[in-house]
Amino acid sequence: MHLRRLGLAAAAVLLAGCATAPVGPDVDESAGPITLRFQSLAFQEPSVAATERIVAAWNAEHPDVQVQLAQGSWDAVHDQLVTQFQGGTAPDVIHDESADIAGFARQGYLADLGPHLSEDTRSGVPQGVWEAVTVDGTVVAAPTLLQSYVVFANTTVLEQAGVTIPTSPTWTWDELADAARRTTTPDRPGLGWGMRQPTATVMSLGLGFGGTFFTGGGDAATLQVGDAELQVPRRIHDMAYADRSLDPTSLTQSGSDVITAFLAGRYAMVVAGSYVAQQLAEAAPPGFAWRVLPALAGTSPNQAANPQTLSVPADSPHVEQAAEFIEFVMRAENLAALAQGEWLIPASEPARNAVHAATGGRDGWEATLDGAQYLTTAPFQGVADYPQWKDQIATPALQRYLGNQTDLPTLQRELTEGWAQVAGG
Amino acid sequence: MKRPLQYLALACYVAFLGFPLLWLLGTAMKGPDELTTGGVVPLSPTFENFGDAVGRADLITAATNSLVVALGTTALVLVLALPSAYALARYRTRLKIAANAWVLVSQVFPVILVALPLFLILRQFRLVDSLVGLTLVHAVYALPFALWMLQGYIAAIPRDVEEAGVVDGAGRLRVLVSIVAPLLAPGLVATAMFTMISSWNEFFFALVLIQDPAKVTLPLTLARFVGAEGQVQLGALAAGALLATVPSLLFFAAIQRRLTSGLLSGAVKG
Repeated sequence: MHLRRLGLAAAAVLLAGCATAPVGPDVDESAGPITLRFQSLAFQEPSVAATERIVAAWNAEHPDVQVQLAQGSWDAVHDQLVTQFQGGTAPDVIHDESADIAGFARQGYLADLGPHLSEDTRSGVPQGVWEAVTVDGTVVAAPTLLQSYVVFANTTVLEQAGVTIPTSPTWTWDELADAARRTTTPDRPGLGWGMRQPTATVMSLGLGFGGTFFTGGGDAATLQVGDAELQVPRRIHDMAYADRSLDPTSLTQSGSDVITAFLAGRYAMVVAGSYVAQQLAEAAPPGFAWRVLPALAGTSPNQAANPQTLSVPADSPHVEQAAEFIEFVMRAENLAALAQGEWLIPASEPARNAVHAATGGRDGWEATLDGAQYLTTAPFQGVADYPQWKDQIATPALQRYLGNQTDLPTLQRELTEGWAQVAGG
Repeated sequence: MKRPLQYLALACYVAFLGFPLLWLLGTAMKGPDELTTGGVVPLSPTFENFGDAVGRADLITAATNSLVVALGTTALVLVLALPSAYALARYRTRLKIAANAWVLVSQVFPVILVALPLFLILRQFRLVDSLVGLTLVHAVYALPFALWMLQGYIAAIPRDVEEAGVVDGAGRLRVLVSIVAPLLAPGLVATAMFTMISSWNEFFFALVLIQDPAKVTLPLTLARFVGAEGQVQLGALAAGALLATVPSLLFFAAIQRRLTSGLLSGAVKG
């Protein structure tokens, strides 16, 4: 009996506590300077330090608008933002990538930055990159850093095989295939390519053959998989199984696994994200000569731009101030410091010039920065059902094809029928 | 001949179990050039990665936060689970079936499904971005399994022991505290270990609920060593992960002796 009374009393106290608990915004907005929360995903130590310096400089210049820096993680930023947008507690300045924020933008979670960004900032970034952060006509983010796919070459092996190191602005897929064949020996394939998650690579490099895959955007997109779209997987497959100049094992590995093998001298060339140059610069054994080859071209050297972005939640009470902070980050010297720290390409031309001046174009920067001009928006970035199609249909279908388990017509059919299934016909 | 084979099998098993830790230690002590060359044993051991891990991320603060949350969760779960599990194990009612069914069902919900409503509820009580809120969430998450575990241990205690206490004049609460709880020590320790581990390693709720850099927990701090496009700072991550295992290893070393069985032997004379 005592226990029952005790339980009832405890329940009453809990309910009373719940009923009187304070509800509403966590921060008192009425007093003191405005505080903006900025969640940065800066990863490399130099770019983390550069971010801290940028925030400190802003805070020193703007006593009324203070930025509070929080370090986030690329690993789970999407799940975190899903919850925070719903709960109304997303940071005032959000660091993410354009492919990820498109969905949030379509749901109305992101503020229109168009009216807040200066002409200088707008004109410094190529239009194709702006289009990658424009959703339904609204600029939902500022693009900061980009990466492209580049060919890294062990120049010693290339020279020994009699392959001339190209100096032209671009390099064709045929030239790549030829160099791969000529550097292949019975013990060593000429090319390694980590393609464990092949869809993004195929979609991005497919643009170089005019392979757009999608027309239209949002929910009204349609998919076409023709010759242009199939060029990249077909050429990779041919190098792996017809020429035998591309190591088929590497196609099942991650990019970093293949770089490890490249550094051990197992391949003459590898294709990977441009940021891998950092790993090569830091971990290459003494005497290992390498360089970034010119941009890979089909009918054009175009690749998809999927820039890292800074955006502001639509329900932030300080959209204008947050946009001003983003403008501050976009200054050439700031963006250049971040780009150098992450070994990525800055989205704006003044910042690219600053990186070139600071690095002298060494360690692959010359070719990497040159390749930035070919980065442009890709139709798939605006397609609502693309993420589902990518994970459930395209990735396994491409893995089967690149694993030589299916043929090209089967790949074409699986991609097309899979889209019909995902998009409801 | 049989005994050496047993020892060999045991050694293989221990090596198998210990390999991840050895790999972690080896990787944590490799320099940047060795990280890409494979092999478990570092040829030129270095402690640089430990310095990087501690310097780059505030591991001490994060470990303290994790410890506060894990110990709070463990204490809360044990306090709640002991009487509940006792009731479920000893009373035969329809409620017991429903309660057990609910305990099982609650384990199959994906975390992402409960994250949002939980987040909104905690926000109402200003418990977002608070270690107290995170402790409550971890306790709610660990409680069903703790209940399930403890029920089994309680069922193994002979009723005769409790009846002897009742005959001597003890009430239900006294029986639970003075008779059942001491006999249940190994079960409570095992449950505490499970709860502690689940809270110590928990990532997703901490990610969603904690925003203040001073309140982040260890799993969140370690996640910073993983970047976009699959980049990983392997040396610093391995060093950080190794340091992160130390507090839990010390905790287990301190309490594992309590995990002995046989406390009940001779409790009831047959």
